[in-house]
Amino acid sequence: MACLRAVLIGLILGVTALPAHARDGAALRGEVLFGWYDLVLELVRHTPTYSPPVAARAFAYVGVISHEAQAALDPRARTLAGQLNGLTAFPEAKAGAAFDGAVVLDAALGAAMAGFFGNTGPTGQRAMQAMGDAMALRVEDGLDPEVVARSRALGLAIAAHVADWAETDGGAVVENMGFPHDYSFGEDPDDWQPTSTIALQQAPLLPDWGKVRPFAMPAATACPVAPHPAFSKEQGSDFHANALAVYHASKALTPEQEEIARFWSDDPMLSPTPPGHWVSIVLQIARRDGLSADRTAGALAVLGVAVADGFIGCWHEKYVYNLVRPVTYIKRYIDPEWETLLITPPFPEYPSGHSVQSGAAEAALTAVFGEDFAFDDATHEDDGLAVRHFASFREAAEEAAVSRLYGGIHYPFANANGLEQGRCIGAFAAGLRLEK
Amino acid sequence: MKLWVLALLPSAALAEPAVPVFLADTGGISAAYEGDYYFMVGGGPAVFDCSGDRKPDLYVPGGAAAGSLWVNESPVGGAFAFGRATSGAELADVTGAYPLDIDGDGVLDLVLLRLGQTQLMRGLGGCRFEAANDLWRFKAPEDWTTAFAATFESGADWPTLAFGAYIDREASTFPWGTCTENLLYRGAAGRFDEALPLAPSYCALSMLFTDWNGSGLPSLRVSNDREYYKGGQEQMWHLEPGAPPRLWTEDEGWARLRIWGMGIASADVTGDGVPDYFLTSMADNKLQVLKDPAAGVPIYLDVAGKRGVTAHRPYVGGDVRPSTAWHAEFGDVNNDGLADLYVVKGNVAEMPDFAWLDPNNLLLQGADGAFQEVGDRAGVASMKVGRGGAVADFNLDGALDLVAVNRWEAVEIWRQEAALGSFVQVALHLPGANRDAIGAVLEVRRGDRVERREVTVGGGHAGGQLGWRHIGLADAQAVDVRVIWPGGVAGDWLTLEAGGFYDVTPEAATEWRP
Repeated sequence: MACLRAVLIGLILGVTALPAHARDGAALRGEVLFGWYDLVLELVRHTPTYSPPVAARAFAYVGVISHEAQAALDPRARTLAGQLNGLTAFPEAKAGAAFDGAVVLDAALGAAMAGFFGNTGPTGQRAMQAMGDAMALRVEDGLDPEVVARSRALGLAIAAHVADWAETDGGAVVENMGFPHDYSFGEDPDDWQPTSTIALQQAPLLPDWGKVRPFAMPAATACPVAPHPAFSKEQGSDFHANALAVYHASKALTPEQEEIARFWSDDPMLSPTPPGHWVSIVLQIARRDGLSADRTAGALAVLGVAVADGFIGCWHEKYVYNLVRPVTYIKRYIDPEWETLLITPPFPEYPSGHSVQSGAAEAALTAVFGEDFAFDDATHEDDGLAVRHFASFREAAEEAAVSRLYGGIHYPFANANGLEQGRCIGAFAAGLRLEK
Repeated sequence: MKLWVLALLPSAALAEPAVPVFLADTGGISAAYEGDYYFMVGGGPAVFDCSGDRKPDLYVPGGAAAGSLWVNESPVGGAFAFGRATSGAELADVTGAYPLDIDGDGVLDLVLLRLGQTQLMRGLGGCRFEAANDLWRFKAPEDWTTAFAATFESGADWPTLAFGAYIDREASTFPWGTCTENLLYRGAAGRFDEALPLAPSYCALSMLFTDWNGSGLPSLRVSNDREYYKGGQEQMWHLEPGAPPRLWTEDEGWARLRIWGMGIASADVTGDGVPDYFLTSMADNKLQVLKDPAAGVPIYLDVAGKRGVTAHRPYVGGDVRPSTAWHAEFGDVNNDGLADLYVVKGNVAEMPDFAWLDPNNLLLQGADGAFQEVGDRAGVASMKVGRGGAVADFNLDGALDLVAVNRWEAVEIWRQEAALGSFVQVALHLPGANRDAIGAVLEVRRGDRVERREVTVGGGHAGGQLGWRHIGLADAQAVDVRVIWPGGVAGDWLTLEAGGFYDVTPEAATEWRP
């Protein structure tokens, strides 16, 4: 990842700039897309409100913008307007006028960054400015100023259209990092209780996120998760056995299982988040295979929609079931001294968010790239975690799901059923048509 | 489903400690911590006596502007008066400052952390300084230096310095993951050796040499800003004389903690004989206590919630967004014999998800060990964008005063109106290189309880102090103190009468009168 970034920085600084007479529009669009998306993966890590559901929402909108900015100039491409809930027709490029696709895409993505990551700190603001300046120099070089202006206007109009659409989805305003100031808890033994000593996290994250307008699935309830085993504290019960499975797994972790737990942990503000991890996978595949900007943007749009819908559907179910976390159950009924490998996230257990969104990502990316599509994942190389190889998106999704067992975060049934819910949700995104 | 309603902000009203009254009194100091991006962190002042009158003077880093030294001309017990000195330390790009007698000549020197070359300033007396990097063969860090700590290792005649660095200042588009290298300098016979790397480095904003388990051998704690590191965490380094520094590991019990580490304050809050650490961050702050002092294993419990010091959001002013904390320092501001906690707050710049009206905290410890917020009642709940700070008795009246260094606005100083209880103040002295007994432990005995106070240089947020050590006595007429001198030799228990200032050496305690 660090090496790729160095290449990118070289490109945007013009170190390897193409001669003016050899402007390669497709290559420039690729530079723009990869450049801004590399920055997105940092901004999502450094913008305080970006918990995984919120991050997934941003990835969906940025993905849609990326696709539409290119579809606007490509007669073969199909817009997502009319395919996604509430998305109306985009402003069209003026017929007969000259546009530059790289400038359109750069303008659209620059506006998307400012819109969706405007709350980032001074370093992120400075980075966005630096990226915007460098990209503008790169893509505008040698172009007729009128073409530049026209193209920028179109890109900005596309981004503004998406921003207006996003404002109405119920997820645009996130206060207090997503933790409500007041919250009514259940007090039955199966009800979720806070697991963190952090004062800000004594209420659960985003209890109303299941009310956010989905993107491709018709409603948050379109893919309900299967019921979990009936709660019981009795030894020998199915539920107790699942809790014991978490406990025993934690006591017998192999080094690889611990590595897997950390590899998929993707903690907010310490990583690109779980949906960003899947975005990173797509970017790595695109670079490895030399995918075009158009194809990459399409994949990112479908993926973004899948994971965003995954979190909406998952969060809806989390607050239906409101299930107690393993750390609470195990300390109450099995071993009061037990501690988890990973920090338990501050919201109800069932189903597993990692599993649902990974199941959705698996469905979406399998539709785009195919079954048994092998890839290496170096998402966390900069953080000191080794590259992992996967034979398919399904294998990766299943490892992401079981990582939560290893981390002590989820019961096995929450991972298995979560994957299934995610695959159901991801099928809606997989059904999006990107070409005419 | 049965329901109950969460009260997010439980009242901490338990035992009611006496609330001190502070008056805004800058004494004529007009300095501010200026600059934008490169000065979003830093701003720690140095509090020390440079004039020889035993009253604390104040060096204020100016950020993009020149730093300034302010000589304390306040009458004892009176209103503050500071005069600006022409000191030779008026450097720009200073991010923080610590006093330290580097060359053991009995005159305090200054360590100026900078954006660019760190500068050691040799004290000449009379609040004048000269650049001394060359004199002491100090190959200074050239990066963005934001943290510092010093100690005298066993048998050393020259201090060991640790410098913490922030991000690569040249990186604009992708600055994350570019933390530059922290450095450790040892030396002997009047000069520093080549620096040793403290790698990996994770964008340190506070460092402290501390004998965390009472073993007699300090380690180096480093608090790191998770905003910029990748694969990082809070750190602690073994520091064995003559050996390269090496990290405490998970196998040794050191647990992964990742926060926006900005400042370290230490005190024996629990009375278990080892230091506890308050770590400032964004939103929740941490109060770490050693899980099992007898085991000697660095496993810490966070008791900030139990003790009422999470200080995670403003308590006054109506802004309910999470706080951003920087300098923190313990001190007994109401002289009741219990360590209180002062925290300087302020938004990074204008981050919309964090409080913009973010008052400084003054948290008073009660008899039950819980702290309660009195910043507003005490008159120190400034809403300015704070960074560095200090807790010191500027007019030698026995009542601690408070300093906040602010971004873009003038320093604030609050003079305590009157001491609420009795006190003693102690200055430790040694012959030889370590004139101020860095690394000593001052023990304070109150009945069956013995509180241990480390003598350190470092911690806080980019600033520190050397000088009188204040001990609140409540209504006691005297207190028993003992010094465990560097090297582990325990002095005799001394009974010090309330209201006095005492110079303590291994041989004697001598009262000094302001």
